Amino acid sequence: MDKPMSAPPRSAGPSRRVPPAGQPLFRVRGLTKVYGSGEAEVKALTGVDLDLYRGELVVLLGPSGSGKTTLLNNLGGLDVPTAGELLYENLDLTSADEVALTRYRRDTVGFIFQFYNLIPSLTARENVELITEIAEDPMSAELALDMVHLGPRQHHFPAQLSGGEQQRVAIARAIAKRPKVLLCDEPTGALDVKTGIVVLEAIQRVNQELGTLTVIITHNAIMADMADRVIHFSDGRVHHLRTNETRAPATSLNW
Amino acid sequence: MLSHLDRKLWRDLRRMKGQAIAVALVIGCGLAMMTMARSLIFSLDSTRREYYEANRFADVFAHVKRAPNSVVERVRTIPGVATVQAGISSQVTLDIAGLDEPASGLARSLPDFGEAELNRLFLRSGRWLPPGSRGEVLVGEAFALANDLQPGQTITMLLNGRRQGFRIAGIVLSPEFIFESRPGAALPDNRTYGIFWMPYEELARAFDLDGAFNFLALTLAPNTSERPVIEALDQLLSTYGGRGAFGREDHPSHIRVSDEIRVLHTMSIGFPVVFLSVAAFMTNAVLSRLLVLQREQIAILKAFGFANSMIVTHYLKFAFVMVAGGTVLGGIGGIMLGHRLVLLYHRFFRFPDLQFQLDQSAFPLALAVSAAAATAGVLSAVRRAARLPPAEAMRPEPPANYRPAWVERTGIGHVLSHTFRIAIRNIERKPIQALFTVAGLALATGILIVPNCFRDGVDQVLDFQWDMVQRQDISVGLVEPSAMKSFHAFEQLPGVVTVEPFRHAFARIRFGHHRRQLGIQGVLAHGLHTRVIDETARQIQLPAEGMVVSEKLAEVLGARVGDLLTVEFLEGKRTTRQVPLTGLADDFAGMAAYMEMYALNRLLGEGDRVSGANMRVDAAKRQEFLRELKDIPRVSWVAIKESLRENFRQTTAASIGLIQMIYMVFAIVVAFGVSYNNARISLAERGRELATLRVVGFSQREVGTVLVTELVILALLAVPAGLLVGTGFATAILRAVNTETVRLPLVLTANNYAFAVLVVVFASTLSALVVLRKLRHLDLVGALKAPE
Repeated sequence: MDKPMSAPPRSAGPSRRVPPAGQPLFRVRGLTKVYGSGEAEVKALTGVDLDLYRGELVVLLGPSGSGKTTLLNNLGGLDVPTAGELLYENLDLTSADEVALTRYRRDTVGFIFQFYNLIPSLTARENVELITEIAEDPMSAELALDMVHLGPRQHHFPAQLSGGEQQRVAIARAIAKRPKVLLCDEPTGALDVKTGIVVLEAIQRVNQELGTLTVIITHNAIMADMADRVIHFSDGRVHHLRTNETRAPATSLNW
Repeated sequence: MLSHLDRKLWRDLRRMKGQAIAVALVIGCGLAMMTMARSLIFSLDSTRREYYEANRFADVFAHVKRAPNSVVERVRTIPGVATVQAGISSQVTLDIAGLDEPASGLARSLPDFGEAELNRLFLRSGRWLPPGSRGEVLVGEAFALANDLQPGQTITMLLNGRRQGFRIAGIVLSPEFIFESRPGAALPDNRTYGIFWMPYEELARAFDLDGAFNFLALTLAPNTSERPVIEALDQLLSTYGGRGAFGREDHPSHIRVSDEIRVLHTMSIGFPVVFLSVAAFMTNAVLSRLLVLQREQIAILKAFGFANSMIVTHYLKFAFVMVAGGTVLGGIGGIMLGHRLVLLYHRFFRFPDLQFQLDQSAFPLALAVSAAAATAGVLSAVRRAARLPPAEAMRPEPPANYRPAWVERTGIGHVLSHTFRIAIRNIERKPIQALFTVAGLALATGILIVPNCFRDGVDQVLDFQWDMVQRQDISVGLVEPSAMKSFHAFEQLPGVVTVEPFRHAFARIRFGHHRRQLGIQGVLAHGLHTRVIDETARQIQLPAEGMVVSEKLAEVLGARVGDLLTVEFLEGKRTTRQVPLTGLADDFAGMAAYMEMYALNRLLGEGDRVSGANMRVDAAKRQEFLRELKDIPRVSWVAIKESLRENFRQTTAASIGLIQMIYMVFAIVVAFGVSYNNARISLAERGRELATLRVVGFSQREVGTVLVTELVILALLAVPAGLLVGTGFATAILRAVNTETVRLPLVLTANNYAFAVLVVVFASTLSALVVLRKLRHLDLVGALKAPE
């Protein structure tokens, strides 16, 4: 059993990029998503082509309404595309039924949202354990909380935690199942700079130490520096792609 | 070890404990009623069965004028007859010290040697009669208790006109007299009517029945049907003045217990159904609200791979916890009430040992029924929530699509205040939820109508109907029908103001396949005393031919006005006649058939005879009247209206009063539960909106008005509907509770309706106040923050 290190380093330094190589984890071709019909029709995705690889950290940039969240939801199995191809390894997410999508989300994907979405009636630790109860090969809730430096606060309820702490609980909850994919939708959107950096640091560490494919949606172009690849989104499709030579540690960011 | 989802369940429940308790209480009320009724049915039924078996209660009974004992042998040869016992059953009059009016009763014979084969007695106190005893009796418990009689005391009896003192040997119970009352009288008066047992020899000598019997009881062999035996018996006994054999289903005491069990059956189904429907509406309201509040949480659970079934189960558990709580409350409540009601039964029914016995099957049934009701109430809402695509649920619910309400569209919009508009638009946007809320409150209002309807019915019986129908003060019955001159003797008694004769004749009335055995009452056509009234409370003029019967009797026979009834007289010349049914009488107890007295006498063909008289007696001379009456030997019984009424007040009315009180408490609990729940849900639903209003500068009072306006509108819709629903409940329940022995008239008064409205208004106001207090602590900033 591969264990993450028991005493994780305090910070993640600059690192060499992981070149996209081998089989992609996600294969996206001509992905289209249309909401509503007739006059009320909204085209959220208008033909996305994209490959995402194991272990890389990808930042999705783009204006509001450009389709970033829709893409993320489709990748995460929260939503089903209208047309196009969407493969996770050999699983066809366009045709998977509710049972298969539930299975996929339970075993493979970790989510982090802008508004944390913790269960208010459960403590930090219980929020994590809620997920480890149903996951196949989870790490312990303590370990997950330690990775986001929240060990001492584990018995607090969400209402007793600051925004940054709540978001770190959400990260611990997302990573505790050792997901293959970590999907973050504006993880720092509701936080101030300092807290945001702490959260990003945590995400970055998880990405490095667990080798999880991490996709982060943001409005904040500065965060692009910590990515292996940066995808610019507009009008429901990939506008352009950029590959960073080196990734900046989250601690070096400022906005 | 609790799963974390269950932990969430407990904590969420703790936060909404007020609502959870309200739902559990309503479920508890319904289940308490069900547990109580089912356990009482079980108690009565099993106690009666055991009593019948242990004391060998007979299957078929017959009265004859006089038959030689040798006839018993011939009865034994009837196919299907197992055991036969013959004896004497005779009317006696008593003179009880301290009792103004003469008491009457039934003297039954016991075998001179050995134990009775059938209808064995149970000795409560004292001792059995020793073989060959003389001058001693055993007394039925009800009479003994009512007159405070103890073994060793002496009572004076008139046996066939001869006055004699008897020493009480023991106090006994009989399976034949679980309910002790004068034949034909629907209401017991244990003070003036009792049952006595004495040796055959002594009774036979007194009534000139040596070597003969006038009463017979028998049991049937296993798997024998009753009808052919009764027919054979009637044929055999007709030459001896047989009055028609009858089975247990026509046995007065047996019927009374069966009727009580039937009433309990109605209660065990009717009330829980209503209460659990209310609970289902409430659960639906509570959970629908919870699901809206936890929309994002549901989305998160789904995002992290919780299957729909797990989410459905999780939210159903909320309902089940309330159901479980309600079941425990209902169980405990039902057991407590059951114990209380069994004590009440001790006043009516004489069993050796009637204990409350819990019907254990009531619990699983209660749990299953209420769980089903709760599931029905919430399943669709829960499933809808679970089916919501997570990506959609993740976003806060989009602002609802409001539009001007229909009231505004009628063009009077400009006169409505903003708060009123907010309220009606809210209601109109969620019509189903509003409908459920209104339905719950309407049912709660409706339930309140029922108990007072019972009370008003009893009042009507006590006052209106008694004064209306029975205007006499005293009724006197003769030992047997006599010539008119005996009637004239009554006119001579001191203090008599008015007096009217009546004729009473035992008959079997048949229509189609149905038949009933009862006494036909012949009264004067324009009688002042026993008046036959119809449902509009007007006196029915008895026709010169034809018969008027209780509505209930017509229902039992399946006959309608205009039909020809077959009347077989069971006394005198035993004629059989076709008599047209000319009208239906409205009465409240037993089943009666009325004819004009002379018409009845013509049918009987025995000339003008009377069975007794109804009288009004000057109150000042009543003592004197009664004293002289005690000396008239041919008087068999005396009924004083005031004592009957008083007795009714103390027994039947008291029991109905207790049941009424229980219902009332339950109904009030429901009214409060429903209105509190409604108010809490409104607050929870509108928290953000109300906080926003506060932030933009509305005062607390104005914000409160918004909330209260909506509640008031819903209550205004619910209350009139509830009054209609309640009228329906009351009608249905009284109809179901009405039996051949006792009925209550359906009385719906303005007071009753006003009371129901008042309780609901009070409950709603109180609930609104509780919620308004919470409004003061509204977290303005928190409520405006992004959803958690």
